[in-house]
Amino acid sequence: MNDFPLPVRAERSNPLARVFDELIDFCRARSMFMLHYCTGCGAIELPPAMTSRFDMERLGIQPMVTPRQADILLITGYVSIKTLKRVILTYEQMGSPKYVIGICSCTVNGGMYWQSYATAKKLNEYLPVDVYIAGCMPRPEAVIEGLRKLMGEIKAGRANSWERYFREYDRYLAAQQNLFGPNWQTPTDIIGEARDYQLYGPGTEGRHTELLQQHQVPLQPLRMTLHSDVEKSS
Amino acid sequence: MSTTHLLIELVLMPLVAFVVGLAMLLMLRKIGARLQRRVGPPLLQPLFDVIKLYSKRTQVSHGLLHEAGIVVAVGAYVAIETLVPVPGMNGIAEKGGLILLSYLMMVPSLGLALGVGQCANPNGSIGLSRAMTAMLAYDIPFMLVVFGVAWQFQTTNLVELVAVQQAGGIATWGIVENPLLAIAGLFGLQAMLGKQPFEIYVAPAEIATGPMVEMGGKFLGGLFVMQSFQFYTAGVLYTTMFLGGGENWFTFLIKIFVVVAIPLSVAFMFPRYRTEDMVRLVWKWPVILALLGLVVAVQ
Ligand code: SF4
Repeated sequence: MNDFPLPVRAERSNPLARVFDELIDFCRARSMFMLHYCTGCGAIELPPAMTSRFDMERLGIQPMVTPRQADILLITGYVSIKTLKRVILTYEQMGSPKYVIGICSCTVNGGMYWQSYATAKKLNEYLPVDVYIAGCMPRPEAVIEGLRKLMGEIKAGRANSWERYFREYDRYLAAQQNLFGPNWQTPTDIIGEARDYQLYGPGTEGRHTELLQQHQVPLQPLRMTLHSDVEKSS
Repeated sequence: MSTTHLLIELVLMPLVAFVVGLAMLLMLRKIGARLQRRVGPPLLQPLFDVIKLYSKRTQVSHGLLHEAGIVVAVGAYVAIETLVPVPGMNGIAEKGGLILLSYLMMVPSLGLALGVGQCANPNGSIGLSRAMTAMLAYDIPFMLVVFGVAWQFQTTNLVELVAVQQAGGIATWGIVENPLLAIAGLFGLQAMLGKQPFEIYVAPAEIATGPMVEMGGKFLGGLFVMQSFQFYTAGVLYTTMFLGGGENWFTFLIKIFVVVAIPLSVAFMFPRYRTEDMVRLVWKWPVILALLGLVVAVQ
């Protein structure tokens, strides 16, 4: 399923701590807030999965509206290059542990947009994807099956691939720069976060993060102007 | 009452409120699911949600006030819970009363305002200005209702209020003695809980849940806790003012769940009003009803 094997969480020796970890993992599995970034045609299969016919809420899955509140990022179809930028911005704003689900064949390998110049092919190169649900498009049953699979992985403590985005940031950034050009930059300071949360790995920094730091412009709040002000100043 | 007894009550009252409030959150989602012909979430879903939110590894904070705001919001409700009498426990309700409560109930919104202000998200600011407008709208009928009840029973003390109603039986309940005030109160409750058609400041599809837009992890967990307290407080306050409080926990729980179920069921049948429509509506009908009820109470 994944190009790279998943890192497995080390079990703590204290039995109480282990019980605690398991409780937390259980709650994480039973309560998943999802943010659906409806990129392609696959989004059409989500409403039936959520409403009365299949009712995702009985599994504890409910939609949320902002990245800060969400645990799962659902990518429901082909991602054009312009969309991918927004997907990455959204992903970086989510609080960890976070999971990405690629619905539709287009997220696996480009699908029928393989020859398109404007479509990103493998989502897994730009973001750590936890579960792929193939199909053009997958039925709601398949979507729920995929979510159940993710649930099982979380419960077993194996769904740690979000850590990879911090530990191997350089590799993901390389793919992103390759696609968007060397000037690509996002508002989230991934390296700083990796340091802060002890997720700094040997692959966090490298050639590509150096390139990023060379041209990085510090973020500044946008100046708020009314329309008439703009006209006057120009 | 001994000091230890009081201390135990002060700890126990918010705890009970939290547990019952979580059950009310579940009820909210169950009612929604049933009305949409779904099964709905499992029994412990609100608990799973809260534990999950607090166990997030990266907690995105926007600064000190962001964190303090949530503490103020939840802390104010913890204080409120010790001021509302429940069967067998009065806490410090004797010392408080309706007037203090109606002030304290504004504090959570102000705490939220502090926190959201620092997030600097335009959606949050819009949501906040709407929340304050909503507060302005429902506080007028709410204060009229509180004043009417206080006049009717000649006391602002919640413990006395319950005692009077329980001594006289159903005939002396606020809802029988002054149904106009009770209806106005129910109307105000809908607006106070921020449920449709008055859901102007959450509005997920329009301003991305307004004040909650930047809240993730423990912040959202804090807001979940706050909402469970809010449901509980609304139910208990209404029951105390109009339904004779609780003789025992069994009848008390039935009463507060029924009271809270009414606005929650109404919510799923309505879309949302615009802000100015809400203000117009809430300043018109519940205020008229409450004023009429006040006339009845004074005579
Ligand atoms: S896999 Fe098929 S349905 Fe899904 S986005 Fe691609 S073309 Fe559309």
